[in-house]
Amino acid sequence: MKTVILNGLKNGNRREPEMSRLLVEEISSLGHSADLLNLEGIRIAPCTGCFGCWVKTPGACVIDDPGRDVARAALHCDLLVFLTPVTYGGYSSELKKAVDRMIPLLSPFFVRIGEEIHHRPRYPKYPPILGVGLLPAPDPEQERIFRTLVGRNAVNYHSPFHEATVIGPGGEETLRRVLRDVIERCGGR
Amino acid sequence: MTDAPKRVLLLVGSPKGSGSTSEALGTYLLEQLEGQGVETEVARIVPFLRSEEGRNKLLHSVAGADLLILASPLYADSLPSGVTRLFEIIGAQGKEKPGFSGTGFAAVINCGFPEARQCDTAIAICRCFAKEAGMEWMGGLVLGGGESIGGRPLREAGGVARNARKALDLAAAALAGGRQVPDEAVSLMAKQTVSPWLYTVIGDIGWRLRARKHKAGKRMKDRPYLP
Repeated sequence: MKTVILNGLKNGNRREPEMSRLLVEEISSLGHSADLLNLEGIRIAPCTGCFGCWVKTPGACVIDDPGRDVARAALHCDLLVFLTPVTYGGYSSELKKAVDRMIPLLSPFFVRIGEEIHHRPRYPKYPPILGVGLLPAPDPEQERIFRTLVGRNAVNYHSPFHEATVIGPGGEETLRRVLRDVIERCGGR
Repeated sequence: MTDAPKRVLLLVGSPKGSGSTSEALGTYLLEQLEGQGVETEVARIVPFLRSEEGRNKLLHSVAGADLLILASPLYADSLPSGVTRLFEIIGAQGKEKPGFSGTGFAAVINCGFPEARQCDTAIAICRCFAKEAGMEWMGGLVLGGGESIGGRPLREAGGVARNARKALDLAAAALAGGRQVPDEAVSLMAKQTVSPWLYTVIGDIGWRLRARKHKAGKRMKDRPYLP
């Protein structure tokens, strides 16, 4: 089983690199592969909202930079992990930049899902999403927003299922448990 | 915010430059505020973020305003990365020199889906940012079906922008008096002017026409990342 981790953490915080390492080690210990993409070190241009990926070069961003590779990697995995400091309830700008550039993975055409309109899938299969947010102290409002956002992304990206967890200091064991549960749901052991 | 704002800064979150629906909504709101004697300034966020000098300039404008209004599109269920980056920069600055008490923050978010409520998570993030930065939350407006305005100035957008104009008129009257955006404005802005069915039919035709214009009409379902 292949996991891709979009790491939106910054190296300035001592605790944060430890969390990405923990994720990789845990996935490896379960016998699966983990590709850790440290977004801070990858030069990705922000999405310009031009919709060229739908009407000029369908399926690929018109900007030919590593943002295309990140989008491709986010599609070709069995589990996609968003790792980020919870930023006002949302993702860090580094992770958000990568997620914004994933829009070519969808079709421009509309489809109804439940009570809402969304974009149709372009591909037959998308990975489940696990959102891992770090918070220095409990904040129920930010946690609620984060969980909602991960859930909404999962609907838009036609993920078969999703999970979101917010980890505070000392939450390493919680992260291990959530990760093991999600991997089991993905069919891994 | 009980005092009437003297200086309002419109932060445009769309990276498109001119002709965005976000800017159309924001500038209409500013015009109403100007009519009530408020001094206004417009800043498109993304170009300012490209250099240290630009960031400092933008922060200077932010510090000089007593009401910030964010007008932004919805990107992947929340704010575009450029807006998030600005929030991070303001947040980091606030830790060093707290001083946004008395500054109001309001947001106008639009999305390309018919349901305005798809913007609710972005509004929640804005509200959270305002609170953490020590600003006063002055309210948020959400608009669905933003593509029907298509970046046109609101006065020229006809019936599809009727509710948006009324909502922004109400919001401007309240904000100019130092009051929160009223519930009536929120409801009006979120009201659908076109049925979701019709919106998606017209939308799908629109995508096909745009792709044909770029000679990509037959490639719209391409899957370049299939192995």
